[in-house]
Order: sequence, then structure tokens, then C-alpha cells
Amino acid sequence: MPLGFLALVLHMHLPYVRHPENEHFLEERWFYEAVTETYLPLLQVFERLVNDNVPFRLTISLSPTLISMFTDPLLQQRYDNHLEKIIELADKEVGRTYNSPFHKTALMYQHRFRQARYLFNDVYQRQIIQGFKKYHDLGYLEIITCPATHGYLPLMMVQPETVRAQIATAVDVHRQYLGTLPPGIWLSECGYAPGIDDLLKEFKLRFFFTDTHGVLFASRRPRFGVFAPIYCPSGVAAFGREVESSKQVWSAREGYPGDFDYREFYRDIGFDLDYDYIKPYIHPDGIRINTGIKYYRITGTTNHKEPYVSEWAENKAAVHAGNFMFNRQLQAAHLNKLMERPPLIVAPYDAELFGHWWFEGPLWLEYLIRKIYFDQDTLELITPSDYLTRFPCNQVARPCASSWGNKGYHETWLNQTNDWIYRHLHFAAAQMVELANSHPEAYGLQRRALDQAGRELVLAQSSDWAFMMSTRTTVNYALSRTKSHLSNVLKLTAQIKENHIDEGWLSSLESKNNIFPRLNYSWYQSHYRPDFS
Amino acid sequence: MTVFLPWFFGFLIIFLFTVAFLILKKRKVIFTLRSSLPKAPLTKLDLPLFKEEYASDLTVPSPVRPQPQKPEEELPGKYNIDRLVLMARDPYWLYTYWEISAAIQEEFKTNYGPFAWGQSQPVLRIYDVTGTNFEKKSLLEYTDIPISDQVDDWYIQVGQPDRSFCIEVGRKFQNGHFVTLLRSNVVSTPRASLSEQVDEEWMWIEDLYHTIRHQYGVSSPLIEEEIAGRMGIVPLGISSPGFYVSHT
Repeated sequence: MPLGFLALVLHMHLPYVRHPENEHFLEERWFYEAVTETYLPLLQVFERLVNDNVPFRLTISLSPTLISMFTDPLLQQRYDNHLEKIIELADKEVGRTYNSPFHKTALMYQHRFRQARYLFNDVYQRQIIQGFKKYHDLGYLEIITCPATHGYLPLMMVQPETVRAQIATAVDVHRQYLGTLPPGIWLSECGYAPGIDDLLKEFKLRFFFTDTHGVLFASRRPRFGVFAPIYCPSGVAAFGREVESSKQVWSAREGYPGDFDYREFYRDIGFDLDYDYIKPYIHPDGIRINTGIKYYRITGTTNHKEPYVSEWAENKAAVHAGNFMFNRQLQAAHLNKLMERPPLIVAPYDAELFGHWWFEGPLWLEYLIRKIYFDQDTLELITPSDYLTRFPCNQVARPCASSWGNKGYHETWLNQTNDWIYRHLHFAAAQMVELANSHPEAYGLQRRALDQAGRELVLAQSSDWAFMMSTRTTVNYALSRTKSHLSNVLKLTAQIKENHIDEGWLSSLESKNNIFPRLNYSWYQSHYRPDFS
Repeated sequence: MTVFLPWFFGFLIIFLFTVAFLILKKRKVIFTLRSSLPKAPLTKLDLPLFKEEYASDLTVPSPVRPQPQKPEEELPGKYNIDRLVLMARDPYWLYTYWEISAAIQEEFKTNYGPFAWGQSQPVLRIYDVTGTNFEKKSLLEYTDIPISDQVDDWYIQVGQPDRSFCIEVGRKFQNGHFVTLLRSNVVSTPRASLSEQVDEEWMWIEDLYHTIRHQYGVSSPLIEEEIAGRMGIVPLGISSPGFYVSHT
């Protein structure tokens, strides 16, 4: 047995940003960029590892909104258009930078974008989800779910029915696209409050993650700190995040991603190049945006930037992977002496950090996995399910309500910038539950209206909107999404009550906000319990 | 009148000519500017490939959005329901919002007189209900926060982690008499430190739906053997810490 276990967890999520009404919706680009820079590169990492017979175990949470975007034909088509455009730009850039220190990097982008197109269209036939399913079925990935639209559950517990509906929807989407029940769940923003685990148990979800203090400050002092999971009294396991491993990767200042040889995120040709030249590749209204082509390395702490040198960056990724492993080895060896079982180090990250923000992140991950397999036997990669199978006996304690947001509790999602949303969200939720209860057997138009009200409600509940208001980024978008989905719920519930449903309007909502076509309003009924028989 | 007409037309023609000339001239300027752009290939390195800009000038890409075409949906200010909702934000702070319908105000006036509303002070009463319930309300400790009629939400600094709270919104008369209008749900503040409870309980889960729980309060190896026997599993050699707890 190794001296310690390492559970790497990548949480993949983006809010539902599908806008059929406008071909060039800025926020839709979040999805395209993440596909090119994070999701496809990660699939390439898995492919290379598997081809080289490197066994590994990784945990990935795929959010239901992300799965819905992966599988949406309109977004698939638009992503393909986006790729065509960016490849055209990359081709031009190869010519423009000829004989300059940027040329090699331009060639790299050209190659990467073409690879992305090949993977997307030819290898996965536009179904990116199939890529993840493949490595899941082969036993490399443990794929878990997360609340349907990334709802921040602790602040939704005023109506536990809506928390249940978020989970029911998530489990249904997971089952539809991955063919199995999810073994565990990533709670959005690690947001936990007592009682949530009871709802998870109804869906046979065996584990979730909390931030460090979620486990450390549990009702009974955890014997092994965060180096072993605890069981909630419901029997659902809580895995606590380990601080040190997080900081090394997360922190822009102390962490690896700030290394001077890595690619500079903020120097994008969408902003740097002459307007007339770049115009066809930015927003048609002339708004400069990130193209994804960035030629500089971080260089130093000043604003002066030097050209990117990919060999240096690759070399640093290998050095950093070695350093990360070395530190975990020391940690594991040390803790092993203090514990009666090998310590477990849980290292969760937002997947979009890798590739999108930290360009070399996927490569770092690949080096790390290779090194863990080839270079040592102190550490072993593990997933939560594997761990619970090996160590089914764990301490019982109620985790502490917490999140991984600023200050560790709920403040990021509940402060003066966004507190006003809860009176509307809770009212809409109460309306939804009331209507679901009073319509046990709805059918026809009424059923469609109830289901759509459920969809609009989950969309309004995305933690992303409250987060954007809090961080004051793309606030107008967050406001407009919150308000529009909430008023759709209110209008729909009013129409259902008055038995006067505007079918034309309902149809337009069904096609515009088409997420979760299988969502069933009965999941909001107070007595609803899932049946997996 | 007829004398002025030719003059008028004359001036008009001159004016139009001038305008046309000016426009053309301006166009021409633009044309010449365009044509003076270097025709040399952009790859030539004597031209700077990038102008030196600073990351801080560019900042995070949050471009100005085009104005939304539709006026934004506005949400109702009130829903005409009675509710007082309490949420725990962190170990030290609660957040509450409420709505008091006209019906409640009317009822209050019926009971206490038409001017009673204006003569009383709106108050939030915070009860510490840790380990108890509202049946013994008179025994509960509470704190009053005077508020105004203009607000409908409040951040309450309770400063006490790991306690349970319930609040009431009501009216307080000058003689101190308090009338409850609405009562909230009960919430608990999260812990902010390690638990003082160091006794351990362990759970063995072979299958989530076949759980056997056992308490290791008593330090007796016999109990362990018994449990192990019941479960048909020999604990030795299995690195589950539960089986070591009572020895340490």
C-alpha cells in the first residue's frame, strides 16, 4: 500500500449561455473558449496517457448545464463556426508574424485550433460528452454530477423541494448521457449546510466535497483532520479540501500559474492589434474581445512583456509537476506516521483554470500523472468511490456549513450586491412547489407550462449570477438573466393558476430556454422521492 | 418679391456648391490617407508588430455591451404575502427579509386602535433558540433591534457561531409592550472553530443502504470483537481506524 493517496478533482462548469436570438452573443464565447482551451486539451491529455499505458484515476464533475451545452446542436454548430473563424485568423497570423519572435507561437496556435477542429468534428462527431464518457467507461475517470444549474444549495434550503429538484435534474441528466447513476456530487461552490446530505442520500449519492473547514469544524472533532473523509449522520461521506495543494495551484501570486515563463493571459491580439486588421475576428459591433491568441509570457511583475517561448513554459510545467508531487510525497510520508491509515489528500480545482487561465495547466496535469506512475510509489491516485471501497469505516460527524468562497461561508452569494434576489427566488420557488403539489397529474398544455416553469426556476437559481453581481463582473448580464428567468416563472405560474396559458409564448420559451427537456415538474412535489428500481 | 427670387436661387446654388465642395474635399482627405497606408507586407520587421501596450491599460476584457433592445423585465416590489425569512450568512451574521401585508396592518389597527401603527416602533426581536423551541418562549433570551418602516431587510450581527436563532418582526409600544407580527424560520450559525466534542463515533458502510452503526464510547476490545463477529468481518489487517480507536 502507498504511504498516501491523492484525489485530484476537476470541477467543470459553465452557466447556461445559449442565446439563439443573437449569433454573436458575447457570453456564449465563454463556452467556445473553454472548449478549445480546457475541455478538448484535457481529453487530449487523457488520450496520450491511455495510448502510453499510463494508468490513472481522476475525479471530474460535469455540471448538467455544461453537459446540456455540449449536446446542444445549435451551440455545436456555432462552435464549429467559431473554430473556422479562429483558424482563419491563426492562418493569417502565421503569415503576419513570419520572421518574428512570435512566429513559432503563431504556428502553435494554428496547430492547436486545427487539432481542436479535428477532435470536435472527426473524433467526437461534435459530441464532446462522448470523450468524457469514453474515459469514464474505460475506468480512468470517475465522473460525478453537480446541482442542475449550479444552484447554491445552502441559500435554497428555505424550500428543500427546490434543492431536491436541482439534484433530481442533475441525476437524470447524468444518467441520460453517462449511462450510470452518479456516484457522488460536487456541491456548487462547495456550498454545504446540514440537511443537504439527507437529500443527497435519497439519490444514492455517496459523497460530496467541502472546503477544509467544512470537515475540520465538524460537529465532532475529526480524528484525521481533512486527511480522511467523515460520514454525515445520514451516511453520506464528506471529503474536505486540502489547503496546501490547493494554494500551490490556485494562487496567482504564490502558485505555479504566475511563473514568469508561462503565458500571459491579458495580452491578447483581440486587444493588441490594429483595429482594421482584427475587426473581422472580434465582435461585429466593434467590441474588442479575447481571440485566444496571446504571444507573451508573464515575464515579470511589471507591465513589460516578452515573447512567449513554449519550450521554457513546457519545461516549467514539468518542473512544477515534480515540485507538486514532491511536496505531496513529503506530506503523505509525514502524515502516514501520525495516522493509522494512509492519508488522503483531496485537491479540487475548477477545471477552467487549466488551459483557459493557466495555459500550461493541462500539460502540468499530464506530467504530474506520468510522474506519479513512473517515478515513485509513495503516492497513489484515487477517487472518492475507490477510497470508500477500501476504507468503508469512517468517523461520523456533521460537517460545518461552509463554502469555498471568500471568507469560507455564504457571504459571496449573500451580500449587499445580491441579497435582493433571494426574496424573489424564494417566492418563485414557493410558487413552483405549491403548483406542483396542487397539480398531481397535469397533462397537455398545463404540464408543458409547469415543466417550463421548473426550467426557468433552475436557470434563475444558478449561483453564477449572484457570483457575478458580487465580483462586479458582467453584472448587467447576471441581472438580466436573473430577472428574465424569474419573471418567466412568475408569469407562467400566474397563467397556470388562472388556467389561461399563452401557448405561443410558452413555445417560444421552450425553444429559447430549452435546457433539460426531460425536467419533470413533479420533482418539485413535496412528497417526491426518486425511485431507481 | 419677384426681384428677390433670382437672388435667392443664386445664393442657394452657391451655397450648395460650397457644401458639395467641402464634402468632396473631406472625402479626398480620407482617400489620400488610406492610400498612404504602407503597401509593404506587414511581415516586414521594420514595422512594429505590436505597439507597446500595458496589461493594465487593457485590463479584464469586459467590453461595453450594446444596449439591450428590449426594456429589462422588472420584478414586483411586493408579492402581497406575509413572510419573514431568516438566513445564516456566516458564524457571526444573519440576514433576514420580510413582507408584511396590508391585512396584518389592518388587523393590528383593529386590535390596538387606528393610530397604534404610527405610535409604535417596528422592531426585530432575535431569540437564541439553541437546544430549545418556541414553546418556552417566555424563558428565551432575546435582543431587540429597532428598525424603520422603510426597510424590509436587515443584516443582524449575532456574533455567535454554532447557535440557533429565530426572529420576530413586531411593533413595540412606548410602554415596552411588544406585539409579534411575523415569526421566522429557525437557522443555525456555522461553527468557526474546531469542535470541543472529541469523543468519536464511527460508521461502517459496506453498502449505503445496509449500514450498521456502532459507538466506540467504551474502551473494551471485547466490544470490538463482538461487533466484528456480528458483521462477519475480521477487523485485523483492515486499515479502518475505527478498530483502533479504543486502544489509543
